[in-house]
Amino acid sequence: MDILQALLNGFGVAFQPLNLLFVVLGCLVGTLIGVLPGIGPISGVALLVPLTFALKMPPESALILLAGIYYGAMYGGSTTSILLNIPGETSSVVTAIDGHKLTKQGQAGPALAMAAWGSFIAGTLSVVGLMTLGPLLAQWAIRFGPAEYFALMVFGFSTLSALAGKNMFKALIATGFGLMLATVGQDPQSGISRYTFGFLQLEDGMDFLVVAIGLFAVSEVLMLLEEKAPGAVRAQVGRIYLSFKDFMASLSTILRSSVLGFLIGVLPGAGASIASFVAYTTEKRLLGAKARFGEGDLRGVAAPESANNAAAGGAMIPLLTLGLPGSGTTAIMLGALVSLGVTPGPQMFEKNPEVVWGLIASMYVGNAVLLMLNLPLVGLFVRLLAVPAWFLIPAVLAISFIGVYAVNNNPFDLLLMAVFGLLGYLMRKLEFPLAPVLLGLVLGYLMEINLRRAMTISNGDVGYLFSSPIAVGLWVLAGLSLLSPLFIARFRKQGLGREAEL
Amino acid sequence: MTDRIAGALILLLALGYGLEASRMQVSFLSDPLGPRPFPYIIAILVGLSALWLLFKPDPNPTWPPPRFWPVLGLVLLSLVAYAYLVVPLGFILTTTLEMTLLSLLFGARWWQGLIGALLFTLGVYFLFTEGLGVTLPVGRIFG
Repeated sequence: MDILQALLNGFGVAFQPLNLLFVVLGCLVGTLIGVLPGIGPISGVALLVPLTFALKMPPESALILLAGIYYGAMYGGSTTSILLNIPGETSSVVTAIDGHKLTKQGQAGPALAMAAWGSFIAGTLSVVGLMTLGPLLAQWAIRFGPAEYFALMVFGFSTLSALAGKNMFKALIATGFGLMLATVGQDPQSGISRYTFGFLQLEDGMDFLVVAIGLFAVSEVLMLLEEKAPGAVRAQVGRIYLSFKDFMASLSTILRSSVLGFLIGVLPGAGASIASFVAYTTEKRLLGAKARFGEGDLRGVAAPESANNAAAGGAMIPLLTLGLPGSGTTAIMLGALVSLGVTPGPQMFEKNPEVVWGLIASMYVGNAVLLMLNLPLVGLFVRLLAVPAWFLIPAVLAISFIGVYAVNNNPFDLLLMAVFGLLGYLMRKLEFPLAPVLLGLVLGYLMEINLRRAMTISNGDVGYLFSSPIAVGLWVLAGLSLLSPLFIARFRKQGLGREAEL
Repeated sequence: MTDRIAGALILLLALGYGLEASRMQVSFLSDPLGPRPFPYIIAILVGLSALWLLFKPDPNPTWPPPRFWPVLGLVLLSLVAYAYLVVPLGFILTTTLEMTLLSLLFGARWWQGLIGALLFTLGVYFLFTEGLGVTLPVGRIFG
């Protein structure tokens, strides 16, 4: 088969000693970058692109290095989520929910290992998908216009109920707050500045990183200060290994989330973060009472981690087949490719096959390398928790300062971070969930922009939002998503009733 | 009770947010929807939820003992001070001070906190500026 032959050639490229070195280097650096709260995959990739020019690397090697960093950073980001309850980037927000609970229960090791395995399986599956379905899916992704995207965002919002916790209305308020934050800044379509109150620094809007670190990291520091257990170990170092039984129990979650994540990743603009939210909710609903999502269920880690890695793979499809970046990181890769003389797009498969297939092959290799690197490191990471609190917590905060400052080189962001820190503390005391704020911040922008674009195209006709089969399908999904908890509860009662009669 | 206060404040926020939206000036270049509808929807959503909180509050949270509040205030003030001082005094100095302060609050002895903070800050500074090419403030007073 043609594809197989091309893949073999690709492996030939990937296994060249220099490229192998780059894969390993990329994964290592990427993981380190991801572990540091505040510096995420995008910053990591952006920081290292100039390096690829300086070293005069051939395009396939540059891409291989960057892809390694991307994957590595995603895995590293989940590490801080699980261990420290500080999501380093959007795609790890959901992982923190069950992941950190597990850490508190002494299960940090299994949680990290689950993240590693889920990421590996999902990543590998997504590369298979990329290889076999790439051009096909690209055609489908092209059919997504603003109306379809808006419907997708509405569907994304229905995932809120899974993040809600006990009080749905508090979750709604938290989401609403996130949406409010999303509207701050210069409105791209009308050009006016909204909610900036004269602050120039707010013209670009609220940066996700500043909000996330303030809301999660700083508030965590304040909470810990309140608990005031000087020198205490933050979590017991319990089991380090993932049991086979737990792994098998989570396998179906991993597989489902991989498919879901991959499909969402293919859509330009919808990326790893949305994938992780949707996967978490889907699994929570599917498994229902059989799982303990929110209390520390390994599947609550498996779902988002698989989905975000699968989405990363899926995001390569629009990049390689159409030349469309699917996310911020792929946008940077696009820039890197163009400046290296390769133009992504339909001809890329013909004109530069060694770049494409070399990349695909090294994605396989990268996934495997990450697994091999990170499983042994799990023990090391967990031991990090044994570092005394008086050092660990200020250290994490110091690194967060760097991450926040590095966004805009503006101390104003540090001020914002402090404000959000206080807010986050109050929210936690009053039992408002934090994750929906980030959900609102991320989805709000996409939602509004697509709604307004759709209205511009249709000249105000609301029916346009429901005009294509894809859009209608998504609306149905969203509706089902919102109403399903009621139906499922009713079915369960009926089902149980009949069994009791037997 | 606390939830009722929170609900009232959030309701005020929603109203303020909506009011601010109504003051937005729509230019003729804009799209048919404009910058206002989305904020209005959000304001309604948040406002209604806040009303629910007013009528059906959760039980009160457990607040920390009174001696905690000055500590909280101190930490927040130090973060604000950090934001203002990091550029004039430079990253290394300000971060060392901030870390030392926090270490003390978490129970370290002053020399433990200081040494740990200094070493860590120096290490991290060079790692990021030399290794990763991030620009961190050097400090105006150091030229």
